[in-house]
Amino acid sequence: MEQLSHIWFFALKDLKIFFKDRIALLFSLLFPFMFIMLFFFLNIDGAAADPRLELHLVTQEAVGGISHQIIGAMETKDESLLQPGEAVVVWDKDYNEAVRAVEEGELKGFLAFPEDFTEGVLMGFGTRLEVVTDPEATYTRAALSGMAQSIASQVGAYQVVNSTIVGLLVGQEVNSPGDMVDIGQIMQQLYSRQGGDETGETFIEFETDKVGDIEAESPSNYVVPGYLVMFVFFAAALSAEMIVRERENHTLERLLASSVKRSSIIGGIYLGTAIRGLIQIALFLGVGMLALDMDFGRSPGAVILLSVLMVLMSSAFGIMLATLVKTQRSASALGVLVSLAIAPLGGCWWPLFITPRWMQFMAKVTPHGWATTGFNKLMVFGGDFSSAVPEMVALACFGLAFAVVAVLRFRSSASS
Amino acid sequence: MPEEFLVARNLHKSFNGNNAVNGVSFSIHKGEVFGLLGPNGAGKTTTIRMLTTVLEPDRGDIEIGGHSVRQDAEGVRALIGVCPQELALYVELSAMDNLVFFGRMVGLNGKEAKAQAMSHLDLMGLADRAKGKVDKFSGGMKRRVNLAIALMGHPQFLFLDESTVGVDPQSRNNIYETIEGLRDEGMTILYTTHYMDEADRLCDRVAIMDEGVIIAMDTPHALKSQIGNPNQVTLEDVFLKLTGRTLRD
Ligand SMILES: Nc1ncnc2c1ncn2[C@@H]1O[C@H](COP(=O)(O)OP(=O)(O)OP(=O)(O)O)[C@@H](O)[C@H]1O
Ligand SMILES: [Mg+2]
Repeated sequence: MEQLSHIWFFALKDLKIFFKDRIALLFSLLFPFMFIMLFFFLNIDGAAADPRLELHLVTQEAVGGISHQIIGAMETKDESLLQPGEAVVVWDKDYNEAVRAVEEGELKGFLAFPEDFTEGVLMGFGTRLEVVTDPEATYTRAALSGMAQSIASQVGAYQVVNSTIVGLLVGQEVNSPGDMVDIGQIMQQLYSRQGGDETGETFIEFETDKVGDIEAESPSNYVVPGYLVMFVFFAAALSAEMIVRERENHTLERLLASSVKRSSIIGGIYLGTAIRGLIQIALFLGVGMLALDMDFGRSPGAVILLSVLMVLMSSAFGIMLATLVKTQRSASALGVLVSLAIAPLGGCWWPLFITPRWMQFMAKVTPHGWATTGFNKLMVFGGDFSSAVPEMVALACFGLAFAVVAVLRFRSSASS
Repeated sequence: MPEEFLVARNLHKSFNGNNAVNGVSFSIHKGEVFGLLGPNGAGKTTTIRMLTTVLEPDRGDIEIGGHSVRQDAEGVRALIGVCPQELALYVELSAMDNLVFFGRMVGLNGKEAKAQAMSHLDLMGLADRAKGKVDKFSGGMKRRVNLAIALMGHPQFLFLDESTVGVDPQSRNNIYETIEGLRDEGMTILYTTHYMDEADRLCDRVAIMDEGVIIAMDTPHALKSQIGNPNQVTLEDVFLKLTGRTLRD
């Protein structure tokens, strides 16, 4: 009880100092917006010059399969009826021809239904949608993946799995089914919990509205979360400085002599950092939504939960860092270094879904990678709450791991 | 025989093989102002840090108010207030915020903390600067805030480590008077200083430390008597005679 109040007053004290520190305020609250604005306007120009997005669909099934009905329902019959910003859906007839077109750069990408689509859906053993794109074609890729996800969830079918192939890798990928199976299996496992064979008739009612939204008209949907992840982590990493500062300020000594436990001090710094992080995300998401036309996707709750987990994880990292360093200087140097190194790797500077596969793989080593992937799933690809659960779990695990290291380090250093 | 409030027995502390404190024993009576004197590096601060539970002695034991520092550090902490040699406060915050924060950390409720903070700032002549940011204070004012913080929670035993260093005569006088006032209220005080006249005026007894050991301990009057007429020699004469004239690190 007493310890809790110590933690609380300590956090309050840190927040008070934070709000009195103009530079810290500028850095953690205003600076990120300047970045976002810059990127946002640069991007808007590019996006505005882009004419209506074309989404190509292909099926390898024989005539009569479900996929023919789905594509038939989605295909744009009269372009003049489309809303501004809505994508044109084109039915390509030949899979190999479409692959060739992507390889040669004539086509940005397409979504393909496999030969056994109907069988897979009806028999309940699962099937796979394939997105083939040029790695440069960000929006196309985002839109097609979103469409695939949308189809997967609407065809009553968590058995429908979608896999993505980057155009330049198309040659090998198609010839190496092993890799595809692995991805398929992983995805299958992720979705298997919700399994069941509720092969509804919903697919007939498939609507293209969602796909229209997903046509990444607002780059803020991935720009804002990327910077959010980077700056929240950055600010939290810099809080490592605070505990070192208590030591160098001699306030640590004073607190210890007045029966405040070290763990309360650590807890207080953690709480203060986390509260600052929450203020950051509230500001980011608020401004993103109101000023930048950001769309939280189908599950705003998931976006918020993911953000909160990200804050908790980042604060744990800050505490861990604090237990690893001795001086204020090394604390801030290490904080800056780590944050800057991880941010691009974890997809904070550009969306991961446009990066080559090895980079996407590397990103999995960083909490940032999971966080940005989660945000992209929710806000770019139109995923629902359950689609971001793996990312939430991953962030929680990272946070826990950081906390465990911090506590262990802290125990061993408390005696000295 | 007055009640012994603090008993230190055979304290040792070394840093990297360097004996900072090398077998120190003394006791302080309730209500006494006890001066711990000695040249730079004598081990005064190290001794205080052990007495205030911040540093664990390598050897020896300490009891304050019947609580052993080793077995019942919490019991000790509940009795003591510490004014460290270095400023130990948040310069980003106001004087008031500093006092209230530390007050809450010693377990005062919001109202008590505010009331005590105000009365201590008043005592230190800082009432009109209560809301001012400590950053903007002069050295003497910061020192007084540092001392005021130590008074939060009305400790029974106060440790003052060079509270008057770098302070003008006015501020120093203010601090003296405060200490005398606290002593009159019955507070027990351990005091270190490099100003011998200060120790002479304030302390009931002094211990002179050098190189980690106590080389003399008595009332200022008795110490002065050892080298001459106590009305003619000063405590500084005693100090220099005992500790020599070589410079310390
Ligand atoms: N944390 C530490 N690490 C290493 N050595 C230390 C540490 N603290 C004190 N010392 C050493 O212990 C010795 C005693 O230092 P201490 O600070 O106790 O002296 P002091 O009597 O308070 O001196 P001053 O009057 O200058 O404040 C010095 O030689 C000092 O260098
Ligand atoms: Mg000292």
